[in-house]
Amino acid sequence: MKRWLILVLCTAFVLVRPGLAVVPVEKPGQVEHLPQPFDAHWAWVGDLVLERMSLIDLDDGQFLGMINGGYGTMAPLFPKTRNEIYVPGTYYSRRSHGERTDVVEIYDAPTLSLVGEVVIPPKRSTSRVAQAHAALSDDDRFIAIFNWTTGTSLSIVDIEQRTLVGEITTPGCSLVYSAGPRRFFSICGDGSAFVVTIDDSGHELSRLRTKPFFDPRADPITEKGVRIGDKWVFASFEGAAHVIDVSGPEIKFDEPWSLLSDEDRAASWRVGGMQHLAAHQATKRLYSLVHRGGPDTHKVAGEEVWVYDLASHRRLDRIKLVNPGISIMGFPIDLGRNWVWPFNELPNWLLNTLAPANVHFIQVTQDDRPLLITASEYTGSLGLYDAKRGNFLRRVMPTGWTSDLLLTPWGGRDN
Amino acid sequence: MSRIDRWFTNWTRSVARRSSRRSFLAQLAAVVVGGSTLPLLPVARAQGNAKAPAPDEPDASKAAGDPGECDYWRHCAIDGFLCSCCGGTQKSCPPGTEMSPVTWIGTCHNPADGKDYIISYNDCCGKHVCGLCYCHRNEGDKPEYFAARSNDINWCFGTKSIVYNCSTAIVLGVATEK
Repeated sequence: MKRWLILVLCTAFVLVRPGLAVVPVEKPGQVEHLPQPFDAHWAWVGDLVLERMSLIDLDDGQFLGMINGGYGTMAPLFPKTRNEIYVPGTYYSRRSHGERTDVVEIYDAPTLSLVGEVVIPPKRSTSRVAQAHAALSDDDRFIAIFNWTTGTSLSIVDIEQRTLVGEITTPGCSLVYSAGPRRFFSICGDGSAFVVTIDDSGHELSRLRTKPFFDPRADPITEKGVRIGDKWVFASFEGAAHVIDVSGPEIKFDEPWSLLSDEDRAASWRVGGMQHLAAHQATKRLYSLVHRGGPDTHKVAGEEVWVYDLASHRRLDRIKLVNPGISIMGFPIDLGRNWVWPFNELPNWLLNTLAPANVHFIQVTQDDRPLLITASEYTGSLGLYDAKRGNFLRRVMPTGWTSDLLLTPWGGRDN
Repeated sequence: MSRIDRWFTNWTRSVARRSSRRSFLAQLAAVVVGGSTLPLLPVARAQGNAKAPAPDEPDASKAAGDPGECDYWRHCAIDGFLCSCCGGTQKSCPPGTEMSPVTWIGTCHNPADGKDYIISYNDCCGKHVCGLCYCHRNEGDKPEYFAARSNDINWCFGTKSIVYNCSTAIVLGVATEK
């Protein structure tokens, strides 16, 4: 009897022992899709070294996926009406040499799969500045790509038909910004704007050059303007806000106003950075990255973000920034995570207190609980803040090896 | 196996169980980063000051006279990787690359003779980015619509490939006005 009892107990132990459970057989060949719908807190983060943009879930820090973009900086375009992503890119048949091919690549957004391309003239401008080198018309039909061969022009692509329409010259004027369903504008070396309208087939309908609206020698505006509704906001080196209203049949220029007070200037505050403006569409708030420095520091990293109400021009908040964090070759430097409290807080305290903020890029999510995102070009880490209250929340890392353009295309609109 | 050997073996296995490669690399990286903030010992740099100073240039032992330094006097408006660190010099491209014939210009002050010079920042093209001695200074830099004074544009034009490798800083002449 006793022997039987031992045998039953042993059998029961073997059967219920969790350590001996068998891992279910898995099916090879599975590929993830992005969970739907697209979330307002998903941010695209550029990486010049790895030549890609990564999609990061800011809420849980998950790396969701990535897209490639050929040679140089990347700035994808996100249509409102289709679940697609358009990426202008440049390729060589033998990586660094051979035949050059420029394309607009078309990605399916839920799968991040390449689903098509339109070949464009091989003279797309490549630059350290990612912004304003391509623009999508307001009805998502046409893409204008800025060409630079010492001469300047726009290549026009009908992205619905997936065909190249043609080329429009923009003599003496560079970059491209959307200004309606059939209109784009460029900025000219004399401080004027070059406005091009196209017809329903994408061909040039009219062109005009406005009067200069800023002095490019005395106080140039940066290329890094942001659009809030029908208004483009640009900041000058000396802190003047120049607003271009594209709502009507003619584009108009609002009276310039200053982002800096006399006291701010006396304390050497300046705007600057590689992506130094951001906007929250619903509240019409403008976010401006600032630092203390002298002339010619218009690309220097920032230490604070100042928040403005676009209608009243009133400064609403000053957000003191901390360092976005450090990662090296994709490995986060997150010392102390497993240390005993309170020592686990020590590395973060040191980073927040002693390290310079060193922020080159800012962006804001477009939902009703917006996040302010910060990044430094030297590391693949993000700093997150409550964009309404200004308090620092946390770091998200790693996003890559370096950081470049930050984009938050989803949420806050009908995707 | 001696007692010490057994203790060391057990200890290393214990550490291996408790720590991941990821955290090891993170902490190693932290040491590397931390180490980089300490005063550097006088070890030889790959570029160093091996090349003779150019006539009428600042003392090559100082940053203002060292083409491998961002603070070199000619680099006042440069944005890129210094060819002096990449197999070239301040006035020549690395082997196998091709110098762009068009470029942006800056006006830099030479502390050795007190004169301002027009500097041409010709890019070297056709090989992928050098990645050494990144230098970003913006004296007189303008946005891209002011092309001849913009250091953000990829100036690899008129070359077989637009792929950027590094930037030179060539004296074009004395500036008559800054």
